[in-house]
Amino acid sequence: MHLWSSLRRHCRRHPIDSIATLVMLCLITWALWASGEWVITAADWSVVHANLPLFAAGSYPDPERWRPVAWLITLIVLAMATLVMPSTGITAQRFRLILPWCWIAMIPLGVGLLAGGFGLSAVPSHAWGGLSLTLFLTCCSGALALPLGVLLALGRRSDLPVIRSFSKLYIDLMRAVPLIAVLFFGQLLIPLFLPMELEINRVLRAVVAFALFAAAYVAEDVRGGLQAIPTTQTEAAAALGLSPLQCLQLVILPQALRIAIPALTNQAIGLLQNTSLMALLGLVELLGIGRSLLANPAFIGRHLEVYVWLAALYWLFCTGMALLARKIERSAPPLGGHNH
Amino acid sequence: MHAAIEALHVCKTFGAGHRALDDVCMHVDHGEVLVVMGPSGSGKSTLIRTFNGLEGIDSGQLRVLDIPLDRDAEPRCIQRIRKRVGMVFQQFNLFPHLSILDNITLAPVRVQHQQRGVAEAQALQLLEQMGIAEQAHKYPSQLSGGQQQRVAIARALALKPEVMLFDEPTSALDPERVKEVLDAMRTLASQGMTMVVVTHELGFAREVADRVVFMDGGRVIESADPETFFTQAREERTRRFLSQIN
Repeated sequence: MHLWSSLRRHCRRHPIDSIATLVMLCLITWALWASGEWVITAADWSVVHANLPLFAAGSYPDPERWRPVAWLITLIVLAMATLVMPSTGITAQRFRLILPWCWIAMIPLGVGLLAGGFGLSAVPSHAWGGLSLTLFLTCCSGALALPLGVLLALGRRSDLPVIRSFSKLYIDLMRAVPLIAVLFFGQLLIPLFLPMELEINRVLRAVVAFALFAAAYVAEDVRGGLQAIPTTQTEAAAALGLSPLQCLQLVILPQALRIAIPALTNQAIGLLQNTSLMALLGLVELLGIGRSLLANPAFIGRHLEVYVWLAALYWLFCTGMALLARKIERSAPPLGGHNH
Repeated sequence: MHAAIEALHVCKTFGAGHRALDDVCMHVDHGEVLVVMGPSGSGKSTLIRTFNGLEGIDSGQLRVLDIPLDRDAEPRCIQRIRKRVGMVFQQFNLFPHLSILDNITLAPVRVQHQQRGVAEAQALQLLEQMGIAEQAHKYPSQLSGGQQQRVAIARALALKPEVMLFDEPTSALDPERVKEVLDAMRTLASQGMTMVVVTHELGFAREVADRVVFMDGGRVIESADPETFFTQAREERTRRFLSQIN
């Protein structure tokens, strides 16, 4: 009742605002209704549910398909565990110690499960595909780009002119070139530079290209974080007798990275979405699977269903990343007493 | 027996030709509490910061705990001094991403390679002395200014320094909070710590200081015991300054 009367009061005071809101509400309702109707009645979702294994793992050999799927499921479970982990308390302390290691372990686990070895049959990287390849590319490139970016950011602030110039040059160059060009360079030109015997598989080439590209952006994000730390922090650490390296490792970087989390989250989400560019370069990740399915005569014309499904998947995982980032920010100690 | 800190004809000029320290000669004996006063820009902060190498000197001789801090002092020498000289800043400068306990144990564990258990026990003892033992597991942003400054003092004391430097420790505090910090410093002085304190707190200078030094324009104008300083100051500038802040 209270809500109704305050609503009526608002409408009387702001007539234009109220009419615009009403029109927008009608439009949104109509759009939702129309698309909802399409989703349920007109759309033919057989292209999706008939090909779920393909979307998950691409053209991975059938008997071994459980491996990428197992890795996917472990990843999702780990993400859920991180999201529901309590922020305070004794259990949180123990969780906080092992969770980062669990995440880091996902990469060798992924390599082991996807590539083979340790008793599992080897599966060449050109057979990998689908969602597992998308997430694998994202995780590996991200894990490589972060330390590289931090080093570049520190190099940019270095007192040594050679290191500073190199870092500046690298960052400016990488930011001036579109990602697709870097990926082309990685896939097509790097093998030309290498001796005949050394054959680097496509996935590794892609990971390196993504990482080198993203590192430049990560470097600038981290530099922003570093700039936000007052010099008095360095002075206080120095006055306690900490060496410059210890000061960086224990005082400056932890704070700078925490400040850079929102910008770094942007990079991570961008990285996930940019893996779709590999569809143009021969890696059949999520988007690649979608496009190859559409070329299949059995699923001609089902563009809308495939792309809506892909959009939903990308949305799901990007949102997941954003939620994880928010969780990390919340569980960090308050810097300067702000409420998130 | 050498003095704890000896400065002879120390000069320092900042880039634009501004003489921050102009032929400063002074010494601090072991166990002495020295208070440095002066208007802003008089060089007192710069002087105290040269004592632990945060600022370098351009000419003159400076010896801290028998270690020379000349113009081209080696980083290793400066490092050795910093392990024996503690500093408390005006803006507390606690590490916001660490708990109070971690703030205090950071240096003992990382610089002096103490065992974490031993360092934590000592940290809790220091917090007890400062009267804030219950704040050990909080973070700096959750503490008041006075509490933060006491943590900063505990953090500097954790390394068991031989000399403590205070750069206007109460200037950023509310008047009600100033007393608790001054009390902590008073206790420290009574335990025989060598202290150099830059402050405007006349009461503290009168009661605790063994000597008061007045600086202006980078020069030491006058140096005397508190009684003489506050009642029979020799120099005209000193008397003018005292009348302004009284």
